[in-house]
Amino acid sequence: MEGKGVTRRQFIKYAGATAALLGLSQSLVPEIARALEELTSGKPPVLWIQGQNCTGCSVSFLNTNFPNAAELVLDKLSVRYHPTVMAAAGDLAFGVLEETAKELAGKYVLVVEGPVPTAEGGEFCTFGLEKETASFNGYQRRKDKPMTVWMEELVPGAAAIIALGNCASFGGIPAANASVTGTKAVQDIVKEISKDKPVINIGGCPSHPDWFVGTVLDYLINKRVPELDKHNRPKAFFGKLIHENCERRASFDAGLFLEDWNDNNPDMKLCLFKMGCKGPVTYADCPTRRWNSGVNWCVGANAPCHGCAEPTFYKDLSPLYEPLPNVNFLGINTTAETLGWVAAGATAAGIGAHYLYKQLGKKAPEGGEQ
Amino acid sequence: MAQLISIDPVTRIEGHLRIDVEVEDGKVKDAWSSGTMFRGIEMLLKGKHPFDAQQVTERICGVCPLVHGTAASYNLDDALGVELPDNARLIRNLCLGANFIQSHILHFYHLAALDYVDVAAVVNYSGSNAALKAIKGKVAGLVKANDVYPFLPRYESDDYVSDPELATVLVGHYVEALEMRKKAQEMLSIFYGRMPSFVGTVPGGVTVQPTVSNIAAFRARLAELRFWIDNVYVQDILTVAGVPAYQIFFTAGDSGGNYLAYGGFDEDSNGTVKFLPRGYITGNDVAAVKEFDENKITESVKHSWYRDECEGLHPKEGKTEPEVGKEGAYSFLKAPRYDGKAMEVGPMARMLVLAGLELSGKISPDKQKLMPLVKSLGLDAKVMELATEGKFGILPRHAMRALECKLIADQMDVWLDELKPGEPIYDKKDIPGESYGRGLVEGPRGALGHWIHIKGKKIDNYQAIVPTTWNAAPRDKEGNRGPIETALLGLPVPDAENPINVVRCVRSFDPCLACAIHVIHPEHNGVKSFRVV
Repeated sequence: MEGKGVTRRQFIKYAGATAALLGLSQSLVPEIARALEELTSGKPPVLWIQGQNCTGCSVSFLNTNFPNAAELVLDKLSVRYHPTVMAAAGDLAFGVLEETAKELAGKYVLVVEGPVPTAEGGEFCTFGLEKETASFNGYQRRKDKPMTVWMEELVPGAAAIIALGNCASFGGIPAANASVTGTKAVQDIVKEISKDKPVINIGGCPSHPDWFVGTVLDYLINKRVPELDKHNRPKAFFGKLIHENCERRASFDAGLFLEDWNDNNPDMKLCLFKMGCKGPVTYADCPTRRWNSGVNWCVGANAPCHGCAEPTFYKDLSPLYEPLPNVNFLGINTTAETLGWVAAGATAAGIGAHYLYKQLGKKAPEGGEQ
Repeated sequence: MAQLISIDPVTRIEGHLRIDVEVEDGKVKDAWSSGTMFRGIEMLLKGKHPFDAQQVTERICGVCPLVHGTAASYNLDDALGVELPDNARLIRNLCLGANFIQSHILHFYHLAALDYVDVAAVVNYSGSNAALKAIKGKVAGLVKANDVYPFLPRYESDDYVSDPELATVLVGHYVEALEMRKKAQEMLSIFYGRMPSFVGTVPGGVTVQPTVSNIAAFRARLAELRFWIDNVYVQDILTVAGVPAYQIFFTAGDSGGNYLAYGGFDEDSNGTVKFLPRGYITGNDVAAVKEFDENKITESVKHSWYRDECEGLHPKEGKTEPEVGKEGAYSFLKAPRYDGKAMEVGPMARMLVLAGLELSGKISPDKQKLMPLVKSLGLDAKVMELATEGKFGILPRHAMRALECKLIADQMDVWLDELKPGEPIYDKKDIPGESYGRGLVEGPRGALGHWIHIKGKKIDNYQAIVPTTWNAAPRDKEGNRGPIETALLGLPVPDAENPINVVRCVRSFDPCLACAIHVIHPEHNGVKSFRVV
């Protein structure tokens, strides 16, 4: 450890933070420390490729704290390919992809950021060069290599595949244009290539760094795919409804709603339902985990949750600033039939008592479903 | 004999970029810049609630969601006739500024620095500084394990900074910079909820009221960042610029002498006074900054994978109909032109416009900020020399980014002082039946414009021209090269296997390709024809 510039005390502290990140008991810290030490000696190779992405999930990843990005990239993982970080470019860069896929088949973790366009031979997203050439200004130039071809080459040898962010997991915003680009979620592409290869979807637009780092550490320490929900998202992070854990839930129950941002008294945490909050249909642990080192989160900034962690984001959650229509509020939890709900219905003119009452009595769905 | 070198992917940028250069006698003779990824973001906005535009367009880019969200908000403000309250204007300035800081730091240290510093030299560090010894330990561990990813492989060159002391200091700053840019993102989330993909600005204003406590939380982080920018970032730029082998980069990588700035950071409620002024320069005539007229913007598609019907239009009525495989085309980027000319946008464009206005006396001496800073750093003679020579290359592009970062960070303290807790943050306006709007702002990478047409209270058309579309544009109808293509001409490439100077030049523009290729016309989203090249 000392040779790597880390003291024993720092290391144990870091193991403790990892336990907290994964929601594990602090009594497991020595075990986690041992597992992490083992990791350092045999760092798993990571190939991180980008499809129709915006790099938001990579930028979000850089905001990770426990461990921080430098520790992860240099000490815990062997990040062989990441287009935004790596020193190499051109032939040298994609050469690493091809070599790792060959030499370490069955061993590498494939992280995919952004979905995969399939229309027009995959020409809507290319990187690296094919062996075949085409003429270009009088030269024979090597052709662009489509993302679809890379998936065919990299998926079969992956030990694990992580679809990072809502675009990779579910298609996201690019898939709303699928009629043109033929955009598909990573899991749908993988299914066509290697039927039983598991894909872990880490949703969010962007993904929270803890969701990604926590999933990777969980996988590496426990050597198994973590428990997933019906959308193949780790339950540890996507198992809870935002609305259920929202710091403004009391305002909702009391029927206190924000309707104009100037009305906001900073000390009054008014419910943002009427501003279009999608918290009642969104599963993620944002209210407790918060963002950017715990500094804030969307609702904390007096803005509605836009539901970016849901498979239905963005297309089916628009308009983003209009109240949710026809929501099954009883999907929230088993204690929904409380006085609070009735009070909310009775006092919130915009929502209307009849509307909430109408929802009463409906059956609660499983996590992640609306 | 001439030879074609293809670099794909150009890494350590945002997005998918391919560069082809024709090299003859060890120098670049010609160059082509190709954007190779297409999503088509605006089409899904058609028919949507206009307020959605801010949240959707910020997803154009994960590095600069702030800039797109801000441009969209100004765009909607314009279409709705919003009178923006001062608090909202100031909070937007502060958050835009915080994004400049995080983006500029990210660019120099994490995207550009590996082109100049020999990471391997760190193992030879022999000093006694504890922090640097820890860095040495880290790198030595990687070397020992024979696992030096992601620092190797790389293009080899004999001019990397390889002095162990200096290389170790710079690699140490690379690691520190990760924490610093993270702090800048925390700063943003204080007012805007989170980063990336923030929520705190909306058409009409912002969502968070300034309070004593959020101002204090913001200021504490700003103070730390300002100290680091002054004492680390700016100093490291000066250090790298002082390396003898890099002196050619003061002029090499010149983009052709045309610079455009829309102006950024509003200083008054109607946006007529900007902290970074608007204007444009042609032929490297820095002292003659001309007045910008937004009607002179057009886009050419002669060499882009879009139908010829999209040629020469102003973005207000812009068309974007993809035609993959079009004869003679080689990029998903269009070629934006101002008054028919290719323009470099970004920190250098903004700083040259500012310098030009200061040097020509159009900004009075008591209000000047750039030239006094340049003087205090002892760079004034160099700037005058480059202006006389009429060339600003790779190093000035990096240096001006750092100086701009300092100017903005310093000003942010002033904006914080001007916030008034308890005063309005929002001007509520109804969505009109039909209206046009435009939002022109400056992002870290340069001039950004959003245009909207609202009809029947819904979005009828939405268009954006982003900084990298200006910089990484292909040739236009007249065959004129884009700024990056021009900047590559003449660069030394002694070894075709290691075209390090090509990527140094391209990266100095800080390209963002996801931003640059996002468009599709809402009414004609079908691909009209397709031929595999």
